Amino acid sequence: MKKKNKNTQLVWYLFLLPSFLGLALFMAYPVMESFRLSFFRSNGTIEKWAGIDNYIYVFKNAGFWQAVRNTFYIGFFQLLISIPLGFIIASIINQMKWFKNFFKVIFFIPYVTSIVAAAMVFLYVLHPDMGLLNTLLSSLGLPTSTWLADSTTARWGVIILSVWHQLGFIIIISLANLQAIPNDIYESSSIDGANRFKQWWFITIPNMTGTFAFFVVMGWIGALKRFSETYILGGLQGSPGRSLYTIVGFIYERGFGGNEFGVASAAAYILFAIILIFTIFNLKISKMNKAN
Amino acid sequence: MKKIMALILIVVLTMSTFLVGCGSKDNDKTDNGTTTDNSTDNDTGKDVADEKEWSGTIKVQMIGSFKMEDSTDPVSGVKTKGVHLLKEEFERTHPGAKVEYVLMGWDSYQQKTQAMLMSGEADVYQVPGIASFAAQGLLEPLAPYIENENYDLEKYINGQINGWKAMGPEDSDLEIYGVPVLGDTRVIVYDKKIFDDWGVEYLSEEPTIDEIMEKAAKMTGKNPVTGEENYGLYFRGKYASDLALNIGESLGGTWGTGFRYKDLQVNFNSEEMKKGVQYLKDAVAYAPSGILSEQGNELFLTENNNIGMTLRIGPGFLKPIYSNGLDERYGASLLFVNPEKGMGGVFEGSPCAIGKSSENKELAWEYLKFTGSEFYQQYLWDEYMAAPVLKSATEWEHIKAVPQMEVVLKAMGRLWGPRYPYRSAQPKSILASNVELALLGQATIEEALDNAQKETEEWIKEQQK
Repeated sequence: MKKKNKNTQLVWYLFLLPSFLGLALFMAYPVMESFRLSFFRSNGTIEKWAGIDNYIYVFKNAGFWQAVRNTFYIGFFQLLISIPLGFIIASIINQMKWFKNFFKVIFFIPYVTSIVAAAMVFLYVLHPDMGLLNTLLSSLGLPTSTWLADSTTARWGVIILSVWHQLGFIIIISLANLQAIPNDIYESSSIDGANRFKQWWFITIPNMTGTFAFFVVMGWIGALKRFSETYILGGLQGSPGRSLYTIVGFIYERGFGGNEFGVASAAAYILFAIILIFTIFNLKISKMNKAN
Repeated sequence: MKKIMALILIVVLTMSTFLVGCGSKDNDKTDNGTTTDNSTDNDTGKDVADEKEWSGTIKVQMIGSFKMEDSTDPVSGVKTKGVHLLKEEFERTHPGAKVEYVLMGWDSYQQKTQAMLMSGEADVYQVPGIASFAAQGLLEPLAPYIENENYDLEKYINGQINGWKAMGPEDSDLEIYGVPVLGDTRVIVYDKKIFDDWGVEYLSEEPTIDEIMEKAAKMTGKNPVTGEENYGLYFRGKYASDLALNIGESLGGTWGTGFRYKDLQVNFNSEEMKKGVQYLKDAVAYAPSGILSEQGNELFLTENNNIGMTLRIGPGFLKPIYSNGLDERYGASLLFVNPEKGMGGVFEGSPCAIGKSSENKELAWEYLKFTGSEFYQQYLWDEYMAAPVLKSATEWEHIKAVPQMEVVLKAMGRLWGPRYPYRSAQPKSILASNVELALLGQATIEEALDNAQKETEEWIKEQQK
């Protein structure tokens, strides 16, 4: 009987083997190989031991720190705008009697759009002469901008794109959590005389802190890995003037733009460390662990 | 009338290809007046009658918009003959041999080629990034093949062989690892109508930067005829550093010396380079506001164009102007060269090379020779308007029918060779970003170029470890 059980288990492992092999080949091996490469000067075929030189080089490199600054700048403002805005819109939709699903779909569409395609469209949205954004601004009597042709506004162009893209996700998750707040709390507060704003402020927001923490942690992980949209809008070197040069952009440029695979791998592990430290920091700040 | 002429030209080009493609063993008299004798040495480099029997299959990788089968452009309706024509011709002239193609787009071509070379996926590769592949020892040196057969390198346009020279891991000098296949270069293209509207004399064949600036200044503002806003010039912001260097070359400057990264010495903060960036900074005033994000030139090469001239544009400009019947409206002029050296500008195009791991190098070398045949080069021009790399191209009726090509071919013969090696690595980005900072006014020209020089020297030092 025992033997039969063992055989059955072996069959199951046999079925799992292709997945394990896939994981080992396409996930575990590249991760280990990249770690190994980070200690070599490598152009892909010729390798030379470098010890921790690549890590020192990356830490000393002005371009890398420029990339770190850009990544944090764009990430910070993206989250600062998208989380409150998405939550407010979700709260409004949650209160609506009609067209609830229509607005959910409208706001969610950008999120399911490929960020690469969205960035291509934003090349036109942010066009200085015939772009949608400048047309809108000038029709409201507001000053226009050259957007992607200037360092500061180029970063804000990416922030606008990212907020537009991310908003749907925040709205849908917020809506799901808003609906999970027990209705009897609102009913009892109504009996106590609380108006809608007070209910939102004192009941809804405190009940959403776990969700906000989730947005912050996930948002920062996404922001630190930012690449596609800055690559489309600013090219390999994050033009103009490296204003759209991100950490992953640095890794891509060094690895595939110049065959400096050792430097790129070292930067990839530094990014991993940054994400790890920042996530722990975020979890502590937002007390997500406690909430969970 | 112009539209009709352009239409006739397109039909003629298409028909000529059809005739070439459908050629039998007999001589095919094409409409370009040249005899594409498929069985003679002059055409494909092979005389089938007394050729030996070949065996084996070679894989050829090609980068671009190539398609295996015939296709029709959905916008213009122009038909393009597929790469199967090359396959048929090569297999016909090399009885017993088989050729297979791996066709890929320009997106991430360097990475894809690197992966293919490392895994020995093909025998023949199109390698615009030849220097980095040769340095890794992934390519076969061609000198023994060339010497063995006394292969005629003189048939290629001046500088094309030198431009693609590279260094393998064991080489102490530049060697031939690839033969030129796709020609490319950058020229100045200008709109004669805008020049006429403003009463400005057309650009000379070889204008100086001062001539360009002076004419651009005159054509910026409200067009006196149409009343629309005009810009004197346009250049691609992301490639501003290449243009600045090219202007610097016309003032007697050079990019630097050396070929291997560890041996490089760059002149990024030379006086000539500083003047080059200053010219560009002044030129921004005559350009659309989105120039640093490559925006604002959408109307160039169209009926409603609002830009006087575009500096540094590739032969790709030919297709839209001929498709739109605007071929007589747009003229071309040469970009700058260093007066002493007689060359200037970034070396462009693609060579073909044999992978070191190829198991059929003899046949692969045959294919390389095939790429240098008139048949192959005419096919690329007729079907994809790829600039030929042969001197004889100037005599082809197909080429003569496109007057702008005279300038393009002349420009190809003046490119800086060997190509700027720094452009395949980090110094390209360092220089480009710093020139952008200078153009944005976020750093002075001196600060930006000194910083580019310093950062690059640090990077070179890193390569010497």
